[in-house]
Amino acid sequence: MSKVLLKSFWIVFTKEVADALRDRRTLLRLLVPVVLMGPLLLLALSSLISSLEDRAERRVILVVGMEHAPSLRNFLERQTYTLKPAPADYEARLRATTLLEPVLVIGKDFEAVLRTGERPTVEVVSDSANQRAGAGVSTMLRLLQGFNRERATLSLALRGVSTELLQSVDVQERDLASTQARAARITGIIPMFIIMAVLYGALTAALDSTAGERERGSLEPLLMNPVQHFALVLGKWGAVALLGLAVALLATLSFVPAQWLLKSDSLQAMFQFGWYEVVAFLLVLLPLAAGLGAVLMALAIRSKTFKEAQAGSALVVTLVGLAPMVTLLNPGGDAPWYLWVPGLAQNTLMMLVLKGEALTMARVLPGVLVGVLLTVVCLFYVARSMRIAVAR
Amino acid sequence: MIHIDSVSKHFTARTGGSLFKRAVKQTVHAVQGVSVHAASGRITGLLGPNGAGKTTTLRMLAGLFKPDGGSIMVDGIAVDQAPLKALARMGILGDAHGLYPRLSARENIIYFGRLQGMEADAASARAEELSRLLDMGSILDRRAEGFSQGERMKTALARALVHDPANIVLDEPTNGLDVLATRSLREALRHLRSPAGGSKCIVFSTHIMQEVEQLCEHVVVVAQGRSVAQGTVPELLEQAGESKFEDAFVKLAFPHLSNPGAV
Repeated sequence: MSKVLLKSFWIVFTKEVADALRDRRTLLRLLVPVVLMGPLLLLALSSLISSLEDRAERRVILVVGMEHAPSLRNFLERQTYTLKPAPADYEARLRATTLLEPVLVIGKDFEAVLRTGERPTVEVVSDSANQRAGAGVSTMLRLLQGFNRERATLSLALRGVSTELLQSVDVQERDLASTQARAARITGIIPMFIIMAVLYGALTAALDSTAGERERGSLEPLLMNPVQHFALVLGKWGAVALLGLAVALLATLSFVPAQWLLKSDSLQAMFQFGWYEVVAFLLVLLPLAAGLGAVLMALAIRSKTFKEAQAGSALVVTLVGLAPMVTLLNPGGDAPWYLWVPGLAQNTLMMLVLKGEALTMARVLPGVLVGVLLTVVCLFYVARSMRIAVAR
Repeated sequence: MIHIDSVSKHFTARTGGSLFKRAVKQTVHAVQGVSVHAASGRITGLLGPNGAGKTTTLRMLAGLFKPDGGSIMVDGIAVDQAPLKALARMGILGDAHGLYPRLSARENIIYFGRLQGMEADAASARAEELSRLLDMGSILDRRAEGFSQGERMKTALARALVHDPANIVLDEPTNGLDVLATRSLREALRHLRSPAGGSKCIVFSTHIMQEVEQLCEHVVVVAQGRSVAQGTVPELLEQAGESKFEDAFVKLAFPHLSNPGAV
């Protein structure tokens, strides 16, 4: 009995896979965004980071009115910074995002006010809409605070006061993140693209083998074969899940060469994407591809046409595709329920893989359980609906 | 051998309704007492106007849904008891006969052959045999994408016959076919009925009288969901007391229309 079921499953499965692979145009259109988009975004991010690193290495500060503040100049140059006069139209250029550095503006009476013991004003000009200029502000503020501290220390020392009074608490930073965890902040977008790949890969196959089959009028003849309906559904589902996984595999593999092209050396050193990650990703995605394929088929089997089915599946595609956004909007606050939501669970697990943390049973099991449950429920529903669909 | 014994089937349909008025459910009695006895080595015609219940009857024969009443036996197997066994003994070309456009005609045929339990090689050999019978050698290895209506129909027929079933059920197979294609289909059916072709039991539904006249040894007239008359064409002519088959059909199918004396 089960041998017959297995044989029918295999016949349907091989036919559906071959049929889907013949649809070259759809496959290509699907692969181009899935395979290229993630790596391209990663490269763009890496070039942004490398430009930030460049700036840190160049140690250049743009200043207006440096000639009014020889003491500040002396301090900055002792910190091995090079000072350059800012362009005259720096405000306009900052606003237009053509100038990518903050500008230090020094008043004419800086030195005189400083000498009288009062507090001259300096401005750090940037535009918070200009993100790259904004990123340089904190460095500049820290430099200026250093100048402040030096002046204060000197004048207290002249009066014989211990400088430790100024800092009653000794603050030291300790970063617990591993290098991979730090890189995961940037590579956090990768799981999102891979989940999208599963969705897109499974979507066309799921719709074509259910609603498409109804639209073509080939479902009725198919059901007139002496084959258990559940075997037909199982074969179709197997093909759908496999295609979802295959597209996900391609998307995952596309990140392997992408990391060699990373421009930022430090990012390259931090971003480890090897065979272990590829295999772990696939295992994590297995329940998602299975469950999602079944859900999409269940949604589509009730639709008479491909178009109707596409409209019906839009909600699921959007929800699962955007599930990883929850973690982006709420960084660091991984809640236990994440692991029970399809899409979000896989995102969380893939992030753990990228951070180099171990996948424990307790973390993996919820996603697997949900995937299996969805698959079983939806497949029985599809088998039942298929009969109803032709009985009208 | 197919025995359909006074089957009945009703559906619930909805009226149009509007934004404020709810659609009302109506019961439609699609079939209410159709009996067909189709013997082997004979072509049995199911003749009836559109909407008479022919397709519904044949869909019940195919096990797509169960009849409300009556029984359907195929070679002694009750369709509602053992649908898979019964389906293995039938080749059905239904109302819907879509192909897989990205598969070639041969692959379409082999797929169904394998689902019928055949090996791929045997199914492929059978596809070639059928392509000779149905004169579709030139399209056998082409993808079904660009097929004409006739080519599609032939492929669907070959697909239904791939497992060499003892019983062949065809629902309006000549719909949309031109004269030549209809003629070659007729030839093929005659061959299948003959002892050389395997003495198949063929059930054939249509609303075209000429086809029945030319092809069927046994005719069942179906109207308004009932089988109203059956017999050979001469028997039906005699029963109606007419000399032209068309007149006989109208008289048998619509007794209220053909009052004596009217033209």
